[in-house]
Amino acid sequence: MNTRKLGVLFTLLVAFASGMFAQSATSLKINEVLITNQSNYQDDYGVHSAWIEIFNTSYASVDLKGCFLTNERNNPTKYPIPKADVLTLIKPRQHALFWADGMPERGTFHVNFTFDPTVDNYIALYDSNGKTLIDEVTIPANTLQADQSYARVTDGHGDWEVRGVNGKFVTPSTNNVTIDKNEKIERFKEHDSNGVGMSITAMSVVFLGLFVLFIAFKLVGNAAMSMMRRKAMKASGVTSLSEAKDKGLGKTSGEVYAAISMALHEMQNDVHDVEETVLTISKVKRTYSPWSSKIYTLRETPHRK
Amino acid sequence: MGDFFNLIGENMQTFWGYTGFANATPGHLIMIVVGLLFIYLAIAKEFEPMLLIPIGFGILIGNIPFNMEAGLKVGIYEEGSVLNILYQGVTSGWYPPLIFLGIGAMTDFSALISNPKLMLIGAAAQFGIFGAYMIALAMGFEPNQAGAIGIIGGADGPTAIFLSSKLAPNLMGAIAVSAYSYMALVPVIQPPIMRLLTTKKERVMRMRPPRAVSHTEKVIFPIVGLLLTCFLVPSGLPLLGMLFFGNLLKESGVTRRLAETARGPLIDTITILLGVTVGASTQASEFLTFNSVKIFALGALSFVIATASGVIFVKIFNLFLKKDNRINPLIGNAGVSAVPDSARISQILGLEYDPTNYLLMHAMGPNVAGVIGSAVAAGILLGFLM
Repeated sequence: MNTRKLGVLFTLLVAFASGMFAQSATSLKINEVLITNQSNYQDDYGVHSAWIEIFNTSYASVDLKGCFLTNERNNPTKYPIPKADVLTLIKPRQHALFWADGMPERGTFHVNFTFDPTVDNYIALYDSNGKTLIDEVTIPANTLQADQSYARVTDGHGDWEVRGVNGKFVTPSTNNVTIDKNEKIERFKEHDSNGVGMSITAMSVVFLGLFVLFIAFKLVGNAAMSMMRRKAMKASGVTSLSEAKDKGLGKTSGEVYAAISMALHEMQNDVHDVEETVLTISKVKRTYSPWSSKIYTLRETPHRK
Repeated sequence: MGDFFNLIGENMQTFWGYTGFANATPGHLIMIVVGLLFIYLAIAKEFEPMLLIPIGFGILIGNIPFNMEAGLKVGIYEEGSVLNILYQGVTSGWYPPLIFLGIGAMTDFSALISNPKLMLIGAAAQFGIFGAYMIALAMGFEPNQAGAIGIIGGADGPTAIFLSSKLAPNLMGAIAVSAYSYMALVPVIQPPIMRLLTTKKERVMRMRPPRAVSHTEKVIFPIVGLLLTCFLVPSGLPLLGMLFFGNLLKESGVTRRLAETARGPLIDTITILLGVTVGASTQASEFLTFNSVKIFALGALSFVIATASGVIFVKIFNLFLKKDNRINPLIGNAGVSAVPDSARISQILGLEYDPTNYLLMHAMGPNVAGVIGSAVAAGILLGFLM
């Protein structure tokens, strides 16, 4: 393998590897945080602790194992998420909830730090290399009262807002926006109940798609015909373009080529109307094969010694 | 001794409770008759036998009555049954793209490449989809259901199954059976519409023979086709990606074995599984509803609209073309896809009026463009309604 081929292979591998990376932990987002838990969600020990919700924005399962959670900017690897727990796999568009109780001995989802509501609380999620920042958020001091959360307006995207006031619910391990209907369909039902808008839009796109293909292949066809004409001019010794156009060089129809190919095929394969073979019902002599031999399929008679 | 006979009697009674005779309903019998009709049409009339035989027999399989409360795991809708496992290729939508792979590997796009303006006929025939969509909305279907029903007008079974499995899984059985039934009935549905919309002079119109297409053009087509159509409608990727991939296998000339597998054993296997499971999904209890009747009516309408719009589009298009470049309107029907049946109808009707006017190769252009057009339309519906 020469150097050039190796280079191409290496480039492809790098591109492939970077594509895999793009599909992994980078699609995770810190989605909701609760700093002071008085009477909110309880952990599996029945304790009210602060929590951090992480949301998988992609439509593929993503594993958190090996990633890091931290509350210190200069210590990105403060809490390594254990690798041996199957529960770290977050399903598409689902959540994982971590308890910020400073008691990692209580399980995978209990981190080794806590929050202080009187100061700015920084939270960051780092990839498994401990260097690539996936997401971070700072909750300003005294922003949240007890049992209020700091959450994204839309799951995984957009601005942050305070929840637990003004009729906005705190939603641990649940979508920040409750999806109870398909918005697209509702919009069509409301604004395009007879389907005319959809039909016009969709037919325009269908026509556009095939029109773009038409233009592309018109250009490709013209280039191909021009090449064919040049070849035909070379073969027939014509040098003038106008003469070639008059003679219709390079414009031979596919039917002509089909007829020529058929004639060549008939000649080369000795295809003719009257066949030389004879149909007969006479028995054909079968050649011997060990597979049909009785001797080979019978057991040998035991010898008495 | 009396207890023994009682036991025998109870066993016989239990056995009887499990038999098809004890569980049969009029619905089962109706569906069995429908299945037999499909098999009859396939064998006696040779209407799409490759599809109607598996679907027809699948209808028989799916409508054998059994005790549904016994948990025998035999029905297609019972989780873990063999039929249910095979049916997952339909519900999760991976059979149709594999069928498209085979279609790509067996389709020659030369007619389209040599005369690319025929692509626009393939686009025009998609009016059938959206005509049916509007009528379905008027009949009270939800937009997602209407989209799934409208795709019947694309006359492309795999596309119909793919889209309905995503947009309206509960209607998929009726949509699939309707789509395949009307595809089989193309020779009955299309000719009267084509005759009605064309004059005798138009029917004998001769078209310029297609030019020879170079190998390079054939190789470029699937690559450029994929990039252009899927950049525009990424949601059509599963179908269009596999269609163009299959075509590249065929046209590259260096992957003959792969192309032969795709257009031979692979597509045959998937066709068998798809046909029989779609047929079996028409279990009377799920299938015999008033919605199914409405879907069948809408399916017929969508085919009529698609055929008519293809033919009318060609007539309008001809007004803008030079005399020697004009298109015979009899190939307009081929835009509905249903490869290659609708193109064959153009040929047969053309020969009926002029025994020396062969339209088959010309009709193949809009025919394969229709496949691309209906996959694009499905992608759009999926993008808008899912």
